[in-house]
Formats: sequence, structure tokens, C-alpha cells
Amino acid sequence: MSTQELADLSKDLFDVALFAYIAAMVASFAFLAFRRVPFAWVSTTIAVAGLGANIGSIVTRGMAAGRTPWGNMYEYSSVLAALAVVGYLVAVEWRAKIRTLGGFVYAFVIFTMAMAVSFFYVGPDDLLPALNSYWRQIHVTAMISSSSLLGIGCVITLVYLAKDRGERRQLAALQALEPPPILGGAIDADAAPDLLASPDPDAPRTVTGGRLPPAATLDRLAYRFIAFGFPIWTFGVICGAIWAQEAWARYWGWDPKETWSFITWVIFAGYLHARATAGWRGRRAAVIALVGAVSLFVTYYAVNLWIAGLHSYAT
Amino acid sequence: MRTALVLLLLLALASVGGSLLPQVPNSPERVARYLVDHPAWGEVFWRTGMFDVFGSWWFALITVLLFVSLVACLVPRSRALLRAMRQAPVQARELDGLRHVASFTAATDGATAVETARSVLRRRRFRVAVADDGRGLGADKGIAREAGSLLFHWAFVLLLLGVIVGKGFGFTGRATLAEGQTWADAAANYDPRSYRPGRFFTDGHSGAGIRLLSFEDGFRDSGVPMDFVSTVELLDPEGAVVRTEEVRVNHPVEFEGLRIFQYGFGWAPVITVRDGSGRVISEAPVIFGQGVAPEGVSQLAMPWSGFVKLPGLEPQVAVELELWPDSEAYLRSLETGEPQPMVIERAPFMRYTVWQGPLTDPSLARLDTRFMTRVDQGVVGAARTVDLPGATMTFSELRQYSVLQVSKDDGVGVVLGAAILVLVGLFPGLYVSRRKVWVRVSDDAAGARVQIGGFALQRKAQFEDEFTSIVDAVAASAGAARDQREMVRTR
Repeated sequence: MSTQELADLSKDLFDVALFAYIAAMVASFAFLAFRRVPFAWVSTTIAVAGLGANIGSIVTRGMAAGRTPWGNMYEYSSVLAALAVVGYLVAVEWRAKIRTLGGFVYAFVIFTMAMAVSFFYVGPDDLLPALNSYWRQIHVTAMISSSSLLGIGCVITLVYLAKDRGERRQLAALQALEPPPILGGAIDADAAPDLLASPDPDAPRTVTGGRLPPAATLDRLAYRFIAFGFPIWTFGVICGAIWAQEAWARYWGWDPKETWSFITWVIFAGYLHARATAGWRGRRAAVIALVGAVSLFVTYYAVNLWIAGLHSYAT
Repeated sequence: MRTALVLLLLLALASVGGSLLPQVPNSPERVARYLVDHPAWGEVFWRTGMFDVFGSWWFALITVLLFVSLVACLVPRSRALLRAMRQAPVQARELDGLRHVASFTAATDGATAVETARSVLRRRRFRVAVADDGRGLGADKGIAREAGSLLFHWAFVLLLLGVIVGKGFGFTGRATLAEGQTWADAAANYDPRSYRPGRFFTDGHSGAGIRLLSFEDGFRDSGVPMDFVSTVELLDPEGAVVRTEEVRVNHPVEFEGLRIFQYGFGWAPVITVRDGSGRVISEAPVIFGQGVAPEGVSQLAMPWSGFVKLPGLEPQVAVELELWPDSEAYLRSLETGEPQPMVIERAPFMRYTVWQGPLTDPSLARLDTRFMTRVDQGVVGAARTVDLPGATMTFSELRQYSVLQVSKDDGVGVVLGAAILVLVGLFPGLYVSRRKVWVRVSDDAAGARVQIGGFALQRKAQFEDEFTSIVDAVAASAGAARDQREMVRTR
């Protein structure tokens, strides 16, 4: 196949993946809404197919460009999407046996891919000489993987906040029941608080129905993703500094992308500290993670779109 | 810890400002434009150092305070860690209140059961201390968490020191050399706009020399640059050639404590001026610059400009020059109306304007024609000669020049080492969990009654499995029947 055909194939596969993720998201939310297990299977199956197309798109793109296909924002976003789906399927669906969070993660993935096609699409061009370094592979791989991990962590944090709010309401409703339900028959069974259905936050492995996991489980899951992504982010920033030392003659120059990667690092470092501090666990820490999500967005997109700097390879 | 976190957050906030407003070190032209466009806010921001956030006194102050509070926090923690490492794990009398408790009856006596538990836990790399009465033991694991966390934080102190020493005692600057020219490392030879000596940089420059043998730039058909390579001879301070190197993007060269990077490039036509008698009065490559391309036009399509000053003539003469390195591209631009990029030399030519009058500014940086009058203009091709008032000018040759960034920073190695330590400390600091296990035995008629208890401070779910497997291992080694074990889990 010619370069052009490969590039077109890559673009087609990208679209296939995008639509597959949309379908998977819809199916996943349907599972959450109707609690019918087939929806979950459909969602996972379509997502895996979409992942196949996504990976195919990345590979053909690499063949068309004749280099590793992470040289510009479009390519980063494609890889980021694939990694996020892999991370979700492996860590959440397979390992943690939680199948209700797919819709939220796919929404994040779809957003990433939609941003890529609307703002960042470029042909499989050659690299600028400054990008032509083996540090590109290491730095970019680390930044994309950590971005996808932190991104999933933030998405789950968002779900956690909603679920936590719900649980608090239910708790309040339970406490407000008058008179106390000591004698049976006083409570309408349908209105019985959800809290009674999943009372043990330490038993995440049993959550299989079409319900969101308990808030405590979500909190811990989100923490795991962020605690996994944070060292990789640190590593990626350090590799970026080493590369900057070779390409730009200084390891740190407060270029906007560097500055924002530092800001994001600080915020997630703050989150990890908050998790270890009494009185800051739970919702307050979650809010820090959401600020981190905003910072991640700015680091990843806004710097390239609106702030001029040395990292403006995208446009 | 809280103070340090607040200061760190302040630093992040200041950085937000520094990334949203243009900064003098990165883009002075944009700062100037901002000051013109927003005079009132510009004035406020200028006075508060918002246009150089990362070089401002208050940014430095926050950084210093941050590290002071960090060290104040780390010193007692490090002491406590050292103390804990020297001390044996503590014993517990009462295990019933622990999160995980299990008990069984061993086939052996109590002392053997304790010894069995000791070896099981040792094999699992627990620190173990047998109680003085021999009726139990205390064990712990995961001290690497605190050690890693401390290493992570101390590494930042080291990193800051590396930055301060490296930047303070080093310098950066740019050297511009045309092909064939030699440049020596001395303060006066750096482009003054780019020269930044560190605060404590006093020991002077090395005097090492660089001779640019050739410069190669490669472009693809799409106009995307492929590579920029300066082939240089490196000279010791006495001027002897030490070695020949290629400086290219992403491949700096180290020499005499300096790092030399490929930074920029351009055209440098060699212009020869002879007086009326044919004697050469000026012959040198002239560094040409480029105006910023208007919106939608490739920078490569822009002509290059420079000038020659002839203060020796009477009256004095200056020639303004505009170079078009690729006349084919130039002709195609005229035909199509689309500016064409000029990346190779093809029948180059220069437009020139001759000025006569007093040269008020002797510098090579700019030409001031306010007190001069225009006397002639025309076009000169390569190897052609044109007449000036009282002299002739020859466009002898078209060369390229290269801009090399030269820097000295002896802290880079320290900073890199510190960054590696940051990572080395981060992993155990985040992922290792601290857990403690105790064993107590009491003699029974059937054998020793063994009670094992434990808890984890982190990763509690995983510890449940680990605890179960420890109990199984001890019970199996102590010969306890499986049905005699009971596991109690409390929360």
C-alpha cells in the first residue's frame, strides 16, 4: 500500500474506533440505567472491537509516517485513547470486576478523540528536527500513559463525588425516618435506601450488578489510578527535562508546557498528600483531583491551542 | 507539612500567572506588545514582576521558604526513621483488638512455635524481635515507605542545590559564526541580547575557540526542515585544533566544560569593497537577518537583509542590502503571486541601496540613515561588482552562518542525579505498605495455643491475603491441623 492509502486507512480506522467507543458508551450507560447484564457484554465487546480499530489506526499511521506514531497532538490523542481503554478494561473490568464505569471512561476517550479530529488533524508528516530524538519515544510514551491513567482517575473521582453525595442523602434519609424502623412494616420496601444493598465498602469484588460500586470503592479505585499515574508523570517530566537539555540547551525553561506540567504535578502531589492527611480524605481530596483534571486538560490541550511556546508542534 | 504544601501551591499559582502572561526571558516582543496594548494593567504587572515571574524576587522567596519549611519537616522525620530502624519491633500483650487475628493449637511447644513463626516472618523479610519472655514476637515490614518518602523529599533539596550552583556559577549565550570564521569563548564575543552570566559567575571564560567549517541545512519537499548540522573545529585557548565535531539539533557537543548546541542559522554573503586604487578595504561575510513573515507567508520566503558600513571613505558610505538567495523561487513568486520558500542557493542576488553621509552609530547591530542621503540603488548578482561613490563592491560569495548556543552548567549532573533519586524514592514511598504482625503463645494441655494478630496501615485489602498466608505458613510448620485454625477478623 502507498503512504497515502495507509494514511487514509488509518483515518478510517480512527473513525471506526471513535464510533465503536460511542456505541460502547451508550451500551454501558444502558447497563447502568436498566441493569440488564447483556448491555454490559455488548458494551465490552464493542469497546474491545473499537480498541482493535484504534490500535490498527495507530499502527497504519506509524507505517504511513515511517516513524513511531506519536509526533503530534493528533497522534498523541489516538494513543491516549487506546491506553485509556486498555487501562479501564484491564484494571477496572478485569481486575476489579467493576463493569459500570465504562460509560464514563468512554466519554473521556470520545472527548479526547473528538478534540483530536476537530483541532489537531494533520497528515502523517515528517518530524521537525527538534522532535527527532529517542527521548521523544520515552518522554512522550510516559506523558501519554500517565495522562490516560490520571484522566481515568479523575473520571472515576467525578463518579465518586456523585455517588458519595447520593450515599450521604440516603444516610440522611435513613436517619430522618420517624419513628425508627424497629418494628417491621413501617418502611416501603421500594423506597428502602440503597445503602442497605451494599453496606460493606470493603467488598468491591462482589459488585457485579448494574449498580455503581460504593463510594468508598470508587474512591480507592480513583486513588489507585492516580497513584499509578503520578510517578509515570514525574518520570515523563524528568525525561522531558533531559531531552530539553539536549535539544534546547536547558533542562528547564518555564516554557508554557513545562510550566503546566509542573502545575499539574503539584496538584496531584497535593492530592496524594491530602489522601494521607486526616480530615482531607474523601471529598476534599477528590476536589483536588478535579482541579488536577482541569490542569491536566490545560497542560494537554490548552497550552497547544492558545498559548504559544516551544511545544507548539501541533498546529 | 501543611506550610510546605501551601507554599508549593502558591508556587503553582504563580506559575499559572507566568504561563498566561508573556515572559521577558521567553518572548520579550510579546511583552512589549502587551505593554502597548494594555498600558494600565501592563504597568501594574510590570511593577509586580509578572512579566518575569520565574526570575522575580517573590518567586525566589516562595521557593526559599518552601525549602526551609520542607527541611524543617524532614529533619525530625529523618531522625525518627533512623531511631525506628535502630530499635527492634515493639511487642504487644493483647492481640484481640487488632484488625486481623487468628489462632490455632500447635503440635509443638510454645518456644518452638515462636521460633517457627520467627523463621516464617524472616523469610518474608519482616523485621522480627522475640519477646524477652520468649512467649511471643513482634514483627514489622515496610519501613521502606517512610525511607522512600524521605528520599523523595530530600532529593528535591539536592535538586534545588544543583540548580542554584549550576545556574549561579554558569552562563549561557549565543555565538554567531559564518562559515570559515573562528569564534572564541569570551564575554564580549557573545550576542549581548542573549548573554546571561550566572549571579556568581566570576571565573571568566575559557578562551576556547570554535571554527565553523561548514553549515548544512536540509529541508524536505514539504518545506519541513530535516536537519541542521554545523561542522566545527574545536580549538584550545592557544588556538590549536583539538578535534572536529558535528553540532546538530538534539546532539550538542561538549568541550572545555562548555556545551555547544545548534540554535539557528542564516545567510552571510561575503562582500568585498575596494577603493579607487583597487585596494581591498573591507572583505568579510556579513551576517544577514530576516524580518518576521506576515500572516500566512512562510518565514523561508522572506528576503534577508544586512548592511555594510564604510567609515573610511570621505564622505562616509553605507550600503543597505536585501538578499534573495534563490532567484528561481523569486521568479516563481513573481509569476504566481505566491511567496515561495527559498531554502537553497540558486543564482542569488542582492538589491542594494547606497547611502552617503555621517555614520552616527558605529555598532554592527543597526544602521541609522537619518543623517544620510540616498545616492544610488541597484541589483548585484553573485560574483558581480558594482560601483559605489569612490569604491567598488563585489558580491564575492554566498556563505551560511550558524548560531550556536553555548552554555556552562556544572549542576546538570547533580540535577539529573537528584531527579533519579526523586523517582527511586517515589515508588516505595507510594506503593510499600507498613504492616505489623505479632505472635503470642500460651501452653495448653494439647500443645501450644498460638495467637497471631496484625494490621496494615496501607493497602489493607492486600494485607488480608498476606496475613492469611502467614498464618497458614506458621500453622503448617507448627503442625497444626487445618480444622483447628480459626480466623477472626475485626474492624
